[in-house]
Amino acid sequence: MDRLQSISNQIQANPTSAKERLFEKSPDDVVFVAAYRSAFTKGRKGAFKDTDAADLLQQLLKTLVERTKIDPSIIGDIVVGNVSNVGSGATEFRAAALAAGIPYTVPLMSVNRQCSSGLMSVIQIAREIQTGQIDVGIAAGAESMSKSWGKPTTPFSKELISNPEAQKCTIPMGITSENVAAKYHISRADQDAFAASSYQKAEKAQKAGLFKDEIVPITAEVKDKDGNTQKVTVTQDEGIRPGVTAESLSKIRPAFKKDGSTHAGNASQVSDGAAVTLMVRRSVAEKLGLPIIGKFIDGLSVGVPPEIMGIGPAAAIPVLLKKHDLQPNDVDIYEINEAFASQALYSVRHVGIDESRVNPKGGAIAFGHPLGCTGTRQFATLFPELRRTGKKIGVTSMCIGTGMGAASLVVAE
Amino acid sequence: MYKFRTQGYNGYSVKYSPFLDSKIACAASANFGLVGNGRLYVLDLTPNGIVQNIAFDTQDGLFDLAWSELHENQIVVAGGDGAIRLFDITLKDFPIKSWKEHTREVFSVNWNMVDKTTFCSSSWDGSIKIWAPNRPQSLRTLLPPSPITPSCTYQALYSPHDPTLLASVDSSGHLRLWDLRRPNPMVVDINAHLGAEALTLDWNKYRPGVIATGSVDRSIRIWDIRQSRDGVSASLSPINELLGHEYAVRKVSWSPHRGDVLLSASYDMTARVWTDRSATEAMFRPRARIPAISRSSTMNVISTHTEFVVGCDWSLWGAPGWAATCAWDETVLVFDTNSLPRLNN
Repeated sequence: MDRLQSISNQIQANPTSAKERLFEKSPDDVVFVAAYRSAFTKGRKGAFKDTDAADLLQQLLKTLVERTKIDPSIIGDIVVGNVSNVGSGATEFRAAALAAGIPYTVPLMSVNRQCSSGLMSVIQIAREIQTGQIDVGIAAGAESMSKSWGKPTTPFSKELISNPEAQKCTIPMGITSENVAAKYHISRADQDAFAASSYQKAEKAQKAGLFKDEIVPITAEVKDKDGNTQKVTVTQDEGIRPGVTAESLSKIRPAFKKDGSTHAGNASQVSDGAAVTLMVRRSVAEKLGLPIIGKFIDGLSVGVPPEIMGIGPAAAIPVLLKKHDLQPNDVDIYEINEAFASQALYSVRHVGIDESRVNPKGGAIAFGHPLGCTGTRQFATLFPELRRTGKKIGVTSMCIGTGMGAASLVVAE
Repeated sequence: MYKFRTQGYNGYSVKYSPFLDSKIACAASANFGLVGNGRLYVLDLTPNGIVQNIAFDTQDGLFDLAWSELHENQIVVAGGDGAIRLFDITLKDFPIKSWKEHTREVFSVNWNMVDKTTFCSSSWDGSIKIWAPNRPQSLRTLLPPSPITPSCTYQALYSPHDPTLLASVDSSGHLRLWDLRRPNPMVVDINAHLGAEALTLDWNKYRPGVIATGSVDRSIRIWDIRQSRDGVSASLSPINELLGHEYAVRKVSWSPHRGDVLLSASYDMTARVWTDRSATEAMFRPRARIPAISRSSTMNVISTHTEFVVGCDWSLWGAPGWAATCAWDETVLVFDTNSLPRLNN
C-alpha cells in the first residue's frame, strides 16, 4: 500500500518546524560578524567618568576594524544609538568614526529610541542590508551617563503639560517601576531575589572569564580629586559586587517612594560604556571570508502605557514570538534588560519564560545600563554565551521610557 | 457557488477547458485513489448548474488531467497504473491513444501551452517524460543526474513563457528547472522546502521566472528563479512565504488574470486565495527577503469542502475570479472568489 503510506506521510505533523526554519541559511541573510563592548564603569566615579561617549566609540570602532580586518571603505553605513548627548551625539560620533580611520565616504547617523537605541541601530542596519541598500554595516551604542545624563530636557509646552496622557511621559523611571510593582504585585522580596541572582550570575561569569570574549580593553584618562590625570586600561566591569544576597539587598531603603520597593540594589546601575557590532549580508561575508557568529532574524518595537513603561518586554516579546510561530521556551537565551527588577521579573513571568533562560551572565542590575549602549551590548553578551553552551536561539528585549518595548530575535551559528 | 457530485469517486484534479468557458474536467479515483477504478468527468457549466457531459472509466485511479491545447475535445489523464491515456470527449468509452512507459503512478500531466505540440508527465518513478500526441513513444525522459536519487515527482509543468523550460517538484522537497535544449537538462536545483515533500508548483503567468511551490510543511513559497546565479545547485531564498494552511498544500494555481493572486488547495479541507505582496514590493525593494507571516495575506478562504481539497484551477475565459476545486468529499465546486469571506492574517 505505497499510496496509503505516501498520503499518510503527507498529512503527518509539519516536518519543518518553526524552529528549524530559523536555522535555514540563505545568501541574503543578515549575519553578525563580530560584537564587542567596552567594560561598563560606574557613573560619575568610574574609570570612564572623564571620557566622552564618542571616545569610547572611537576606540571600539578601531578595534572592530582591526580585529575583523574589514576594509573600512566597504562599510555602507554606521548607526549609533545614544540617549543623553545633545542631538544624540550625531556630530561627535561622526567625528569619532573619522578619528577611528574610517573614510569620510562612510556615512553615519545616530538614533534615539531611549533605552532601546542600541537595538534600534542594529535593526536599522539589518533593514538596510535586507533591502539591498548596503552590504556591510556597523551598528553601535555609546553612552556616557557621567557626562550627559540627568541634564534638563526640552520643557513641555502648555499644551503637552495640560494633556493628561502626554504628561505621563514626564513620570520618573523609578516611579514607573513602583507602578509596575504595585499593579502586578511584584513583591520586594521577589525583586531582591531577582536582583541578587543577577549579581551572583555576573560575579560567577566574571570570575570564570566569560566576559573576556565580549569586552574590548579601552584606555581612558581619569582625573583624581587634585586634578591629576592618570591613564588606565579598563577590561572589567566595575559594577559587579561580590557576595550580594537577597538578604543583603533587603536592608536598602526604597529610593523613590517611602513605602516603595525599588532601590539602588534592585535597579540598573548608572554606568558608562559602548558596544559595536559588524553586520554583513551572508553572501558578502562568505565572499570576504569573514567569520559568522549569528544571524539576525527580526526586531520590532511596541507601545505600552507610559506610566508602566517597564512592561515593554512583556508586550514586545509575545508579538515577536507569535510572528515567528515560536513558544517562549523555544528560545534558548533571553537577554532582557534589567532596568528594574520589578519590570524585568514581571516581563519574564508574564511571557512565561523559564527563569534559567534569562540573563545567564547577569544583567544591568549587576553591571550597569549605559542607556543607548545596552541594546547593542546585549548581542555582545548573548552570542558568546550561545556558542559556549551550544545553544542557538536568542532574544534580546528591553523596556523603553515614555512607554515602549522592543525585542529582537537572532540565531547563533 | 455551484456543486457537482462525483458520486463514488474522490476528486484529484480539476481543469477548465482552454477553449471554452463552459467546460471543466475532473480526474477522480474510487476509494480515495488508494485502490480501484478511476473516472474522468467532463462537465458543462450551464444556467441550470453543473451538468455531466460525458465520463470515462479507467481500471486504475486517475490523479491528473490536461486539456489538449491543440484540439478542443482532447484530454490526457495520468493513471495510477503508470499509463497515460488520451480521450476524445466526443467518442464514448475508450481512449484514442494510450502510453505505458512510467513504471509507477503517473501523478501529473501538463500540455505545453506555448508550442502546443507536446505534453509532459511526471511520475512516482522519479522521471519526467515528454510526449507528442501523434508519437507512440515518449520523445524524451528527464532524470536528475547522479548522484541525485530520483524521488516521487509530484508535478512537472511547462513554463507559460518558454516552450523548452519545465519546472518540477518532488518528494525530496526540491524545485528543479529543466531546459530541453540542453543535453544535461537539469539547470537549477533548489532545496525549496528543506526536505519536506513538495507536492505542487505553478508558474506565474505574468512574472516570467516566478514560481510558487506548495509543501507538506504547510507553506507556499514563491521563488524568482531569475535570481539564481549559482547554476545547478542554487542557493536561493524565496521572495515570499504564504503561511496559513494547517496541513499539506496539495495544489497551487496562479490566477490567469492577475500576477499577484494565487489559489491553493490543502489537506486542511480549505482552498485559499492569496495576494502575493512580493509582486508589488519587489518593484521597490530589489532584494526584498520578506519574512514569514507578516507580509503574506489570505484574501479568501473556501471552507465548503468536508474532506481533503486536492485540485483547483482558475477559469480562463469566464469572468475573472471564477475558480473550481475538487476534493475527496466527491464534490466539484465552481465559485466566484470575489464573493467569498475575506480573512487577513
